Formats: sequence, C-alpha cells, structure tokens
Amino acid sequence: MSNNRVSRRQFLSYTLTGVGGFMAAGMLMPMLRFAIDPVLQSHAGGNFIKTEHKIADITEKPVKVDLKFEQVDAWYKSEVTNVAWVFKQGDQIVALSPVCKHLGCMVDWGSDSTHPDQFFCSCHGGRYEKNGNNVKGTPPLGPLDEYEVKEEDGYLSLGPIRANTLVK
Amino acid sequence: MYFNASDVTSFMAQKEFIDTAIVPLVSVDLTPEKMKQSGTEADFLLSLTSFIEQQFKGRLLLMPPFSSSATLKNEDLPKQLEAQLHNAGFKHVFFITCDHFWTNIGEEVNVIWLPAIPLESMDRGVKNSILEDQLRQVIPMLSTKWAQI
Ligand code: FES
Repeated sequence: MSNNRVSRRQFLSYTLTGVGGFMAAGMLMPMLRFAIDPVLQSHAGGNFIKTEHKIADITEKPVKVDLKFEQVDAWYKSEVTNVAWVFKQGDQIVALSPVCKHLGCMVDWGSDSTHPDQFFCSCHGGRYEKNGNNVKGTPPLGPLDEYEVKEEDGYLSLGPIRANTLVK
Repeated sequence: MYFNASDVTSFMAQKEFIDTAIVPLVSVDLTPEKMKQSGTEADFLLSLTSFIEQQFKGRLLLMPPFSSSATLKNEDLPKQLEAQLHNAGFKHVFFITCDHFWTNIGEEVNVIWLPAIPLESMDRGVKNSILEDQLRQVIPMLSTKWAQI
C-alpha cells in the first residue's frame, strides 16, 4: 500500500509536466497552424475567382470575361475589373490576359479589320495570333499571358496568371 | 502610365511610344450647396481617368489632377502646362474635366468635357459599364488626334 503512494514531490512533478505539456502544445499548435496554413490554402485553390460564365457557353470565338475582385493597394481599395479573353481550343478552355506585352495597353479581339482573326493593340498596332503568339514585326516582344482555368459547378473559374503555354 | 517613379522611368525610355499626356482638371467648390456635387465630379473624373489609363497604359501618361477652386481658376494654367508638357516630349496633351469653365479655352488646347455621373451609389458592375460607355465617348477624340500624328 505504502509502495503505491505518490509522494508530494512526485505528485507535483507529474502535474507540472502535464500542465507544462498543455502549455507547450497551446503555444506550438497555433504556430504550426500559421506555418502550414498558407500551404494548405493554396492547395485549396483560394486564388481562383469564379466568373459568371458557363463553361457550356464558351465557343471558339474569344469573348471578354470580367473578373471582379477587390484589390487593396496600400490604403486605396481599387475597383479595377480585370478581364480575360476566353475561348475553346479543341476541348481545352483558354483564357488569355488582355495586357499587351509591349507596354501594357488592353488588346481587343478582331478590332483590326485587316486582321479579323487576331488580337489587336490599338496603342502601337501590336498584333497576336489567337493562341497569343505575338506577330513578328509588330512592337510586342512576347506572347500574351494566360490565366489558369478551372471548372466550378459548370462555371468558369480563373486562377493566377502565368506565361503562355500554348505557343510552342 | 501613372506619374510615379517607375512609370516615369518607362516614359523616359520609351518616349516615341508614350506620346500622350492626360491632365484631369478638378474644380473644388467649397460652398455648402455645391460641395457634394464637387465631390461627385472629382470622384467621377479620377475613376474615369484611371480607367482610361488602364486601357491605354502604353500610350499615355496620366498626370496627377490639377485642382483649383473658384477664385484660383486661371485660363493660363492649362496653356502653360501644355507648353511644358510639349517640351517634356509629349506630342499630344489632353485636359479632361467636368467643369464648363475650361471649355472656354477649347480652341487653344484640347479640352475634353464630360458631364459628371454620380458613381457613389452604384455597385461595381454598373459602375464599370458606365465607365466603359464614357470611355467610348473619349476614344474618338483621342484617336482623331493620334491619327493626325
Ligand atoms: S502597348 Fe500594345 S503595341 Fe504598344
């Protein structure tokens, strides 16, 4: 009986270790969460923005799709709506960035009557083929960028912008 | 391009491409009856000019707004500013405003006058389509000048 008795010293050390353990866990858990969360989030696709366009409505003809989100630069909340030129190529949905790779104007599809099947930049006459490839001899030096695309409940979602993957 | 260090650097390097300056002329009216309207005008003008900037970033430099109140308005300001902008290398200079005062000098400098549309009560989608409509009014004025070279 007396062998099993817990001395005051043992009792204290057990309880303190226990409490200390909880305290350490209490501190470490949130730290771990903060450290890991961003990684988890990007896997969850937090950067994709759902548009109002149905995947089924997308055809081979590029259309302008609005991308609405709030962007906060310093103290100024900007309401600039981004756009994408969206079309179907085979079974693949393509969303090109409208930002001209020359000096950054917005390009338009087919607005140059002599080249109705190209993207046209009215600033300095830059032209791009449908896949975004810049036409040699016009000012732009690279192809149009591309959005990552995803389907969400039948609607088109657009993700981060990356370099053009269609132009080989 | 905006009037900030990095965009101005691009302008310096690409003067043959960035050949146009846009100057918003904002009128600040501080009388109790007109102050709110004045706020609407400023808001509209700044939203519209930054929208224009987004569309034509590679062709134009949007200057910070030049503001004046009733007693400070001076027809010489745009004229002198235009001369200085030409000296700085801009082929085309446009003033854009909601105040009729400046249309008086429309003969001498390029003044684009637009009625202010109150944007404050609109949601983003409506606002954007309004701005797009207004942009469509402005584009022909820019492109006629651009076509003249
Ligand atoms: S910005 Fe598009 S051609 Fe120069």
